[in-house]
Amino acid sequence: MAEGSGKAGPEAAAAFEVLGRWHEEVSRNMLRMQHFATLLLHPEEPEVGPTPREEIYRKHKSRLYRYASSRMHRTPLLFVPNLGISRPYIFDLLPGGSFVEHMTRQGFDFYLLDWGVFGPEDNHLTVEDCVTRILPRMARKVLESSGARELSVLGYCMGGPLSACFLALYPDVPAKAFVNMAGPIDFSHAGLFRCWLNRKYFDVDRFVDTLGQIPADLVRTGFKLLKPSMDLSTGLNLWWNLWNESYVKGFKALNKWANEYVAFPGEFFRQWVKEFYQENRLVRGELTLGGRPVKLETIGCPVFVVGAKEDNIAPPACVRALIDAVSSRDKEYVELPGGHISLIAGRGAATHCWPKVSSWLAVRS
Amino acid sequence: MVENPSPQALFDLWKKQIEDGTQAWTKLMGQGQTADPATFWRPYMDQGLAAWSKVFTQGPVTPDLMTQWKQFLDQWIAAWSKVLEQAMGTEAFAQALGKYLDQWLTVQAPMKKVADESAEATLSTLGIPSRSQVVGVARQVMDLDDRIERLEDRLDALMTRMDDLFKALGEHEAAAARRAAGREAPPA
Repeated sequence: MAEGSGKAGPEAAAAFEVLGRWHEEVSRNMLRMQHFATLLLHPEEPEVGPTPREEIYRKHKSRLYRYASSRMHRTPLLFVPNLGISRPYIFDLLPGGSFVEHMTRQGFDFYLLDWGVFGPEDNHLTVEDCVTRILPRMARKVLESSGARELSVLGYCMGGPLSACFLALYPDVPAKAFVNMAGPIDFSHAGLFRCWLNRKYFDVDRFVDTLGQIPADLVRTGFKLLKPSMDLSTGLNLWWNLWNESYVKGFKALNKWANEYVAFPGEFFRQWVKEFYQENRLVRGELTLGGRPVKLETIGCPVFVVGAKEDNIAPPACVRALIDAVSSRDKEYVELPGGHISLIAGRGAATHCWPKVSSWLAVRS
Repeated sequence: MVENPSPQALFDLWKKQIEDGTQAWTKLMGQGQTADPATFWRPYMDQGLAAWSKVFTQGPVTPDLMTQWKQFLDQWIAAWSKVLEQAMGTEAFAQALGKYLDQWLTVQAPMKKVADESAEATLSTLGIPSRSQVVGVARQVMDLDDRIERLEDRLDALMTRMDDLFKALGEHEAAAARRAAGREAPPA
């Protein structure tokens, strides 16, 4: 009798434990259904860009914003993101999940360059215009507005090579430090895009001459093709975490951004594809902008390069190349887990990437 | 132990089979051979489903199965993603994509031309400015903006030079005043 009850005790406890877990699973499923219904029946536009900011300057579609901060560091930071493709509110997505918020809380006088949303009237805009006409003016406005003598530049994605070209072309710009986050430099390692944009198969001239600008839908198709399983895994992860309210909130904001593509100005696309992807001129030292050669070795300020291990837009080897190309003595490369977006959004970014960038910059600002 | 391997072991085995299949598939593609994707990949799909059925039948049904099912789907997606990535990174795919885009442009170009022309004609009949006219005005505004900015730059440069001149003049006058005061002062 005693033996029998001793055996039944653990079995009953195990059964009870399984029952408890099933109860939890059923509760989660109820929440999943509830949140799914809300998503479907009452879709609310998520509020993004929570950090207060002020427009400092505008040139055509470009805007320069200054974010409110405690200004613990003397040197202002000019953040140059990608042009076209997507909107820059990904950098200030949600309270507690914003790169801008992190940097301003760390006391950086943070300036964001928003290249804007392009229309057919911008088709003549080139890489050269961005580097020789827009960026110098933005840098000057940052210095004027902050009252500082020097500034640091942080380029993300396409903003990385654009900033590198700018700093290389204007050695008199008082650059205190330069950070390149997932910005492609050596396009011979640029992954699938390099393969697809090969001049043997892709006639960029015909493309631009026919379409004028590269429409947002086509940009979307190109990026979706890069990872066709992305939508499936996003949907699966959403279903799995649908019970979690904060996950759903983050998903809504990120999903809004991920589906808002921006067109490319035609001439910019032509020059970008030809001179960067097809001819890899930047790292070879063969790029000429405004009639002057762009030599990356001209960059002598401290340089910090951040690559992402699974980045399929700017693979690590393609980003890392900046380290060997510049003449700076103070230079460092870090490779972090995740993909292209993992550096600027999500929990991983807040844990692995942002503190590294801010602490590297803090001692040089 | 061998008869009842853990779900993770089953999935790992299946994942490895998928990876081997990917290698074989890539090799086939590289050799320029064509294979029916459905026929080629069907056995791998069946193996995955068989692994999953085994998990269902070999133990008590607990909520862990949900987690395992999610893991299975994650691995399944990751495996297929790798397959697709390898296939899309080939010259053959780039060539096919280029060809498709070329054909798309061949269709798109005349369609775009006709659509633009008819929209232009309709708007002109209605007395409404067309898209190209609006774009033209926008460009003129942008050119004006550039000109104003260049003027501002010149003005800034002039102002800086004038400030420097006034500063130098002020210093010069102060020095002259000091010299004059020195001459007028009685000898000590």
